[in-house]
Amino acid sequence: MELFTPEIGLVIWMFVAFVLLCLVLGKFAWPAILSMINSRGELIDKGVVYAQEAKQHLDNAKAEADKFILDAQRRQAEILREAARLKAQIIEEAKEAASVEAQKVMDAAKLSIEQQRKEAELQFRNEVSSFAISIAEKLLRQKMNDDKSQSKLVEQLLNEMETKN
Amino acid sequence: MCILTMKKVLAILLMVVAAVVAPVQATASASSEGEGGTPGFDIKEIIFHHLGDAYGWEVPFSHDLRIPLPIIVNDSQGGWHLFSSARLEHGQTYVDNGVTYRIAEEGDYSGKVVEVAADGGEFRPFDLSITKNVLALFISAIVVMALVFSLLRYYKRNGMRAPRKGVGALEALICFIYDGVIKDTLGAKAPKFAGYLLTVFLFIFVMNLLGLIVIFPGGANLTGNIAVTLVLALMTFIITNVKGNKHYWKDIFWPDVPLPLKFPFPLMPIIELFGIFTKPAALCVRLFANMLSGHMIVIVFTMLIFIFAPFGVAVTTGTTVISVMFSLFMLMLDVLVSFIQAYVFTMLSTLFISFAVEEHHEPEVKTEQ
Repeated sequence: MELFTPEIGLVIWMFVAFVLLCLVLGKFAWPAILSMINSRGELIDKGVVYAQEAKQHLDNAKAEADKFILDAQRRQAEILREAARLKAQIIEEAKEAASVEAQKVMDAAKLSIEQQRKEAELQFRNEVSSFAISIAEKLLRQKMNDDKSQSKLVEQLLNEMETKN
Repeated sequence: MCILTMKKVLAILLMVVAAVVAPVQATASASSEGEGGTPGFDIKEIIFHHLGDAYGWEVPFSHDLRIPLPIIVNDSQGGWHLFSSARLEHGQTYVDNGVTYRIAEEGDYSGKVVEVAADGGEFRPFDLSITKNVLALFISAIVVMALVFSLLRYYKRNGMRAPRKGVGALEALICFIYDGVIKDTLGAKAPKFAGYLLTVFLFIFVMNLLGLIVIFPGGANLTGNIAVTLVLALMTFIITNVKGNKHYWKDIFWPDVPLPLKFPFPLMPIIELFGIFTKPAALCVRLFANMLSGHMIVIVFTMLIFIFAPFGVAVTTGTTVISVMFSLFMLMLDVLVSFIQAYVFTMLSTLFISFAVEEHHEPEVKTEQ
């Protein structure tokens, strides 16, 4: 049968064509194509891993940010509370200090008033006593001369004293 | 929906017209031949002519015109001759440098170029002609190269971007074979044999598909030709046995079987030794027989029309409709078979190579257990 006997010419041509095709493709095409497919696969794998990591980072960052915000809020509240407490304390202290100071000033004022009053009293007393002495002196002197004049003098002196006061 | 039905209606109409016209033409030509005194159709010869090789390539839609192809022969004296196949058409003889050639019409060399001796005896010269099959072979090789290099060019232009459409389909096919068959079976040794196996797959696939196209660039029954599949199987045979490691040879000459099976009479080694040759032989015959039968069945269905032509218009019309439907169906099935056979050839080649090159660990594992 013609169909079942291989034709030597076709065998030779087939061998030549196929070996050439194998050599050409095996040398120039397949290694490049396979390495390309391989490297692209690796790139895609890397991309997937990178995306996963990025997503994880993002999730972590969000959680961290939330934590920070919560912490900040807590600290803010603390600070505010502290400030309020400090404010009250300062006001309290200031009030206390002011009242103490005021007391001091008042005490000092009282003291000085008292002193001045005492001084004035003393002075007044001294003056009155000196007047009285001088009146008595003059009276004594007038009395020596004339009664009339003496009384006149007394009166005059008294007047003087009155006007003086 | 509407367009689809329109298309369907058109297709059916076309089929009906073809069904009516074809038998009329056939009966006409048959009767004219009958009048000429020659017997009608030699169905067998037509079928085998279509399945076999030829020195010219049929021009579509013409009975007589052939695309001339170069005939290269080495004559009985050892001289080379190169001339066009057009010189030998229709049983003509041609004298080239004193040697007479013609295409034998009967006998052992039927359909082949023979040297006509002075006494009328025929001598078959060493024939390296670029026949229809050889040219189809070259066309297939060029198509394979164009496909593969188009993928390579895509990579050069687009870098890491994945290809789309046609190039993408080609890449998917290559990945399917490489990842699904070659890498799975050969593992770390895959890149070493990938060049051969991928080339074999694409080459067979392209040859199969080109064979299904009935006009010029295709139509040659290449993979249904035993010479082609023989060379392919031979390549697998050579690679398997050249690259086979010592485990492979040990398994052949001293397999892990009970001693009486290999000594004193080496029964198993003989069987294994036969296995070396039967494996590639099965590869060769499987591809050859599958593709040959695919081509044959389509032609037979087509020939049915002409076989039934003498029984009247009604019978012929019915046969035509059924034949066209069946041969269409078979052609579509052949597209599937083209892929499956290319895949099977590649897969089995990979398997045989992997048997030859893999490092055996199983026996040791068994003894450990």
